[in-house]
Amino acid sequence: MYSSDDYNEGGYESYGDYEPHTGDPQYDLEYDRSYYKMPDMVKKFLVYFRNMINEGVTYEILNLYEITFPKLTEQYFENTPWPDENEVAPIVDNDHVFMILYKELYYRDIYARVPGGPKPEQRFTSFYNYCDLFNYILSAETPVPLELPDQWLWELVDEFVYQFQSFAQYRSRTSKLSPAEIEALNTENKAWNVLCILNVLHSLVDKSNIKRQLEVYAAGGDPDSVAGEFGRHSLYKMLGYFSLVGLLRLHSLLGDYYQAIKVLENIELHKKSQYSHVPACQISTSYYVGFAYMMMRRYADAIRTLSSALLYMQRTKQLFSTRSYQNDQINKQTEQMYNLLAICLVLHPQCVDESIQQVLREKNYHEKMFKMQYGDLGEFESCFTFACPKFLSPCPPPIEPGSNYGRDAVKHQTQVFMDEVRQQKMLPTIRSYLKLYTTLPLAKLAAFMSAARGGERDAAREHAALAIHLLCFKHKMKNVVWTQGPSGLDGKFQSGSELDFYIDNDMIHIADTKVAHRYGDFFIRKLLKFEELNRKLHHIKI
Amino acid sequence: MAETMKQTVAGILKTIERYNPANLQTLERYVEMQSRDNTYDLEANLAVLKLYQFNPEKFNADITCQILLKALTNFPHTDFTLCKCLLLESVAENETISQIKYLADILEQCDFAQFWNRVHQMPELCSRINGFHDSIRKFVCHVVGITFQTIDKNNLANLLGGIDGMLFFTFVQ
Repeated sequence: MYSSDDYNEGGYESYGDYEPHTGDPQYDLEYDRSYYKMPDMVKKFLVYFRNMINEGVTYEILNLYEITFPKLTEQYFENTPWPDENEVAPIVDNDHVFMILYKELYYRDIYARVPGGPKPEQRFTSFYNYCDLFNYILSAETPVPLELPDQWLWELVDEFVYQFQSFAQYRSRTSKLSPAEIEALNTENKAWNVLCILNVLHSLVDKSNIKRQLEVYAAGGDPDSVAGEFGRHSLYKMLGYFSLVGLLRLHSLLGDYYQAIKVLENIELHKKSQYSHVPACQISTSYYVGFAYMMMRRYADAIRTLSSALLYMQRTKQLFSTRSYQNDQINKQTEQMYNLLAICLVLHPQCVDESIQQVLREKNYHEKMFKMQYGDLGEFESCFTFACPKFLSPCPPPIEPGSNYGRDAVKHQTQVFMDEVRQQKMLPTIRSYLKLYTTLPLAKLAAFMSAARGGERDAAREHAALAIHLLCFKHKMKNVVWTQGPSGLDGKFQSGSELDFYIDNDMIHIADTKVAHRYGDFFIRKLLKFEELNRKLHHIKI
Repeated sequence: MAETMKQTVAGILKTIERYNPANLQTLERYVEMQSRDNTYDLEANLAVLKLYQFNPEKFNADITCQILLKALTNFPHTDFTLCKCLLLESVAENETISQIKYLADILEQCDFAQFWNRVHQMPELCSRINGFHDSIRKFVCHVVGITFQTIDKNNLANLLGGIDGMLFFTFVQ
């Protein structure tokens, strides 16, 4: 029967529509415990689901996974988790593999939906379930006979990293943990260990030969020729690919931006490829890559990555509206990307696509950018903390009640970013003056700068300070920019910002390289739309 | 010798072995080699910092300082920022590391006069890194080169840390 003790705190009231309830919660609780029967619909679903997985009918699996499962959740398990394994196993003949997959969904659903989140022991059992799954896949001597839709595989890998992140956060909230929980956490130190996670992801990458495959693919060859026995299978290949993105996320969470970008070698972000058909994966990749570039002060690269992803999303918006459970994350990540883009554009003004510009103008980003331009450090910080990934300390100390290290990782990365912003603090002011001229004597600019600051004047000192700021301007605006090659780390120094200058003797020569907006495209699009509309109007008969 | 070392390290970095603390000793020796021979390998150095991050009890302040100073020599690249992101939060209390961070900060702001001033105050720190001064001068030349069309000779000599004679001319080229 239902092991109801696990669910006492779940606060479940209703199991749906098969028997009228009395309205007395206490009574109903008793009732549910003793008489609960799994609805027939759910039973049928599970059996059918299992058959489809065993037969490898991917499109039907995708349908069941993406549409039926959430629908049944809404219908029968609105306030409760799905039935636990002891109940499901007999229905599906104790199918080992199916049970692992079922539990993956079961725990994921708990993480996502059940109020209060998973209980500590559920965190552990979910971890061991992942271990079972990856052991099954990785330790097989020949590729396992399993095929899952790519959407599922992506969400599986992503969820694995997410649950690690969630565990690390949970562990760090020491003040909210009970002594029993702390005891459990201190003895159980293997589960959700960072090395474990790295090991799994690396193993999936190695097993699938995905790096070699991508290399050949990028060179225009046939990836199957180097894939090997496992890598040719779609399951291994896609798990390998998604693990690379998982590593990107994990490295970013730990503040290792170099490895984060490096792990994506041979993946051309801006090109459509046979690997890039899961939108959520594409978006997540762009977000982390854009963020890493920003931290490396490669603003041109960050802006290019972020704006091309945002543009892609603007154009494919309709695609996302149907699947509600994926939407929240995508919306949140979109907003984070706009914030990152706003920061980058303040630090490195540059032309971006008109439709992106439009969003930045319309939403409240405009005000944020304005504040940042005027050196409001608080605004920088709040934009950053909103948009950054939830950083983790990789190796938390043994927990002692009262200690609180959880926020340190976020604080540390914020600090590094704010150091950079402080170093650039004078640049927007200088830029605003330079914009007004094509040539400007050093002494005049120095006078402007000190007038803006007020106080006593000391020409020599002002002059020296200005020279330093101008050097700094040139130094910071010359970024490494990716031009070609397999690695996103490579690049050449370029000054891609819209204003440039040089100093000849005592004169600053300024070149405003801002490109005029491409109004042509915009007008053509609107004209076509208008003509279309006109045609339709003519066809209407009253 | 140096070549084999480089190969060994590259081998370690390619696999999951990069997270194995047993390799820390090799990697640390490699850092010291870089300081001595005026070579540089960012990826290996980041791997060392990562191992410290994962194993705080193995943290070595001296090696960390060398890594950070080496990162300064690779300006205008942002290696120093990358290293900083991987430092443990607890490291903030280390006096020498704070000093190096300050050096990086003024170097980022291109306050070169101030930078040399500081460096001369702690000669033993920077002289451990072979070629440290010249690497920084190269960076100064880079920034000055992209900013100025013409510049006063004395001014430039100052920015380069008060060098004169032959040395000055090798840099001007």
